[in-house]
Amino acid sequence: MKGVYLGELEELVLLTVGILYPEAYGVAVMDEIEKQAGRSLNISAVHSVLTRLEEKELLSSKMSDPTEERGGRRKRIFLLTAAGKRSLEEAHQMRTQLYNQIPKMALQFQWV
Amino acid sequence: MKIHPPKWADRLLVWYCNPQLLEEIQGDAYELFYRQAKENKPKADFYFIWNVIRFFRWKNIKKRSTKADHRQASFAMIKNILLVTLRNFLRQPGHSLLNIAGLSVSFACAFLILLWVTFEYSFDQFHTDPNQLFSVVTHVKSDGAVQTYHVASAVIDVSSVPEIEKLVSISTGERWPNILCFKPENDSKECVYLNGVYSNENLFSVFNFPILKGDPNPLNQPNNIAISEKMAYLLFNTNNPIGKIIKVDGWQEVVVASVFQNIPVNSSLQFDFALTFSVLKKEWGGNEDRFTENFFSTYLKTNKETIPEQLTEKLNDVRVVTEAYKAQNISYQAVALSDWRLKSKFENGKQSGGRIDYVALFIIIGSVVVIMAVINFINMTTARAATRAKEIGIRKVTGAYRSSIILQFICESFLIVLTAFLFGALLTQFGLPLFNSILGERVSIGIIDGWVPIYLLTLLIIISLLAGLYPAFVLSSFQPVKVLKDQFSAPFTGSQRLRKILLVVQLSVSAGIIIFSGVLYLQLNYVTQKNLGFDRSNMIRVEPTGDLFRNFDAFKNELNKNSSIISVGGANTNPLTTEAGNAGVSWQGKPKDLRITFKTIGCSYEFPETFGLKIIEGRDFKTQPQDTLHTEVLVSKEAVKTMGLKNPVGEIIRMGEAQCVIIGVVNDFHTESLRASRLPVILYRTEYMHTAAIYVKYQPGTTEQSLAALSKAYSQFERNFTMKYWFQDDTFNEIYKTEITSSRLVLLFTVVALIIACIGIVGLASYNVHRKTREIGIRRVFGASITQVMTVLTNEFIWVMLLAVLMASPLAWIAADKWLSGFAYRIDMPWWIYLVTFTLISGITIIIICLQGLKTIITNPTKTLRNE
Repeated sequence: MKGVYLGELEELVLLTVGILYPEAYGVAVMDEIEKQAGRSLNISAVHSVLTRLEEKELLSSKMSDPTEERGGRRKRIFLLTAAGKRSLEEAHQMRTQLYNQIPKMALQFQWV
Repeated sequence: MKIHPPKWADRLLVWYCNPQLLEEIQGDAYELFYRQAKENKPKADFYFIWNVIRFFRWKNIKKRSTKADHRQASFAMIKNILLVTLRNFLRQPGHSLLNIAGLSVSFACAFLILLWVTFEYSFDQFHTDPNQLFSVVTHVKSDGAVQTYHVASAVIDVSSVPEIEKLVSISTGERWPNILCFKPENDSKECVYLNGVYSNENLFSVFNFPILKGDPNPLNQPNNIAISEKMAYLLFNTNNPIGKIIKVDGWQEVVVASVFQNIPVNSSLQFDFALTFSVLKKEWGGNEDRFTENFFSTYLKTNKETIPEQLTEKLNDVRVVTEAYKAQNISYQAVALSDWRLKSKFENGKQSGGRIDYVALFIIIGSVVVIMAVINFINMTTARAATRAKEIGIRKVTGAYRSSIILQFICESFLIVLTAFLFGALLTQFGLPLFNSILGERVSIGIIDGWVPIYLLTLLIIISLLAGLYPAFVLSSFQPVKVLKDQFSAPFTGSQRLRKILLVVQLSVSAGIIIFSGVLYLQLNYVTQKNLGFDRSNMIRVEPTGDLFRNFDAFKNELNKNSSIISVGGANTNPLTTEAGNAGVSWQGKPKDLRITFKTIGCSYEFPETFGLKIIEGRDFKTQPQDTLHTEVLVSKEAVKTMGLKNPVGEIIRMGEAQCVIIGVVNDFHTESLRASRLPVILYRTEYMHTAAIYVKYQPGTTEQSLAALSKAYSQFERNFTMKYWFQDDTFNEIYKTEITSSRLVLLFTVVALIIACIGIVGLASYNVHRKTREIGIRRVFGASITQVMTVLTNEFIWVMLLAVLMASPLAWIAADKWLSGFAYRIDMPWWIYLVTFTLISGITIIIICLQGLKTIITNPTKTLRNE
């Protein structure tokens, strides 16, 4: 299936949505990424990643109740789907697996 | 107060954003904005705008295709639009008809102007390679001023200019030897006068005048003649008269070599026959010098497209212009043939417009008329919005998109404009003969010729859009809630102001046109009524012929037997149109370097009496003896002043070689149109043989008898020709033809402008009354009189009218003054015309408003107030 591969930013956003459960929406995701990863993203970039992930069916969404801080507008709340959770696990597993195969020598830096 | 992000950015977002995504996107943007705005508003604004721009992504943009099926105008919808249009039309038939009438009239005006302009631009465009054709003009510098003539030397030699392929010299004219008497083959009594040209063999190869029969190059033999189809039928009643003999001027025999197609109306060069220069030389008595010294209309054909300036430079080379002419300050200029008709005027050696000025003027008038009508249309449509508001509300409530309402109104406007357009086209087709007769020319282009339909179609689309767009947007912007609750008056204040501004524009245009045409009319009246110093009415000018001259005394005696004929005299120039001046007059005590132009008229001794000149000092010419010819002169008072003579009678003056004695002084009189200043005049006596025209003065009211007597006497003494005559009054009108034509046209457009303005006022006034129905009712209930209510209604319009006149007056003043400055003798600017115009316009406005209001005012207030 096309789209099982996660981009770096996609993975980051996907993780953040998981962290923020059940209050993950555009601005919150943007704030969280800035806080945790120190990366300042534009809101429109976050939006486009979120919609892309939703298209890949890794995220699902629903509209929240209206809030005052947004001038009476609703938020779109994003939730991880089963596929999303699986792809996060796969990515995580792949990394650990790969990491563990690195020879010890390669990680021993000698500061000369 | 709550803070808001920049409104326009927000709107932009709403406009482009896909509605399904709008809420979350806008929500996020707002959230960020409010958060930042707590600290720093400008920064928040900036980021908001930045975010709006960043959100502009392909994914977020509205996609039309997703909703297309809802928007498409289906057949049923178009049917509905047509039905609603028809119903609306019939609901207020008066209004609708007024609307269509106004548009139709203005369209007809615009179409006529369009036809005329197209016609003017079509002149001389039928030649092959019109861009390679040039005419040569001659500038003569003398006394610091440059005179320009549309001729060049008869013997101009352009062989040194490689670009010039062919050159053609053409002798044209309105009199002998260009207008000649021809006798039809079968009936040899009556003359047919036809106008022709003398030219060299290139005439038919430079210009595109197709030869139908015979030699394609007829002028290569000296005794050939080429005649038009029309002339062939007139003389020989056949289309194939090749080889027939024609006697030119009754004595020179020439052979018909070819027949050419009748010259199209839109050719600047018009002729019915073409002869060679050798025939002209014989007409002139075989004088070779007279020919070589002459100047003729000259046209060049180049072998490639050339810039006129380059050609001009080469024409002024010594090899072309010759040393002798250079010494006389003569220079040539090449002018593109396309300028022949429209830009033929030269002022001090520089091209300065010509007919193109009139073309531009009428394009402006046409556009103004159309714009005014469109303004009316917009006014009336938006004014009627109140009656449509509920319909729009219901449409919206039941789910119409704004776009479909816009489409509906544009369709409605289009239908009305189209109807008016068709009526306008019809009016144009019927009005064209009238227009032609006013113009005095034959606009030969119809509404379906050439490019005209395409122009018209473009015009139709532009006008429908202009007229439809604004009302469509205004009407479709109503909020259904307000409209259905009957609160629609608020959103109208804006367009109410706009309507008034449009009315100001309209009224000021009308006022301007009225003022200008008033001035035009007064000046023309002044010109035609002004005492020229001599009598021009009840006078016939006859072209003299050889036999008449030989028996002139008998002819005169015969005429004088008739009681209706007062006097007969001859002169070598018409005092109405003496253009040439004589600078070679000298007298005792004349300063050496003084150059003064006199008008000199050679005349028979009866001239002062025939023209009603008054002898102020000295005596008139004596009847006899003949030896006073060329030795006695009469001078005008102005001439006495110019020469500074104390006792003019008996003074000797010299005109060229001739020495003359002043025998008397006559009153001043004009010798050409009143555009030029009056010049001093010298009358000298000359024999009948040297006069160019015979003037016959007759008793007022006896035109027919006198003409009958005249032609009887003429045919008695001249058997070879048919009498050719003109009335002096007609010649006089001919001088002011352009002015008379344009005054008629301006009058026409004044009427149209007034009609359209009236329609506009009617529309606005009726709307106003409608809007104020309740106010009027309440005022009436509280005891206001009819006059008081009327005052309330008209008050609103007073400042509109004032503003209109204030705007129009200075512009009209400038335009009228500029036009008047073209006359040496002009009226003072009539200030009262401004008052009259203002009174007229305000009178009409107030009357219309009152008439519209009266119906409502006299209605019982209970009726108008009951529907609350």
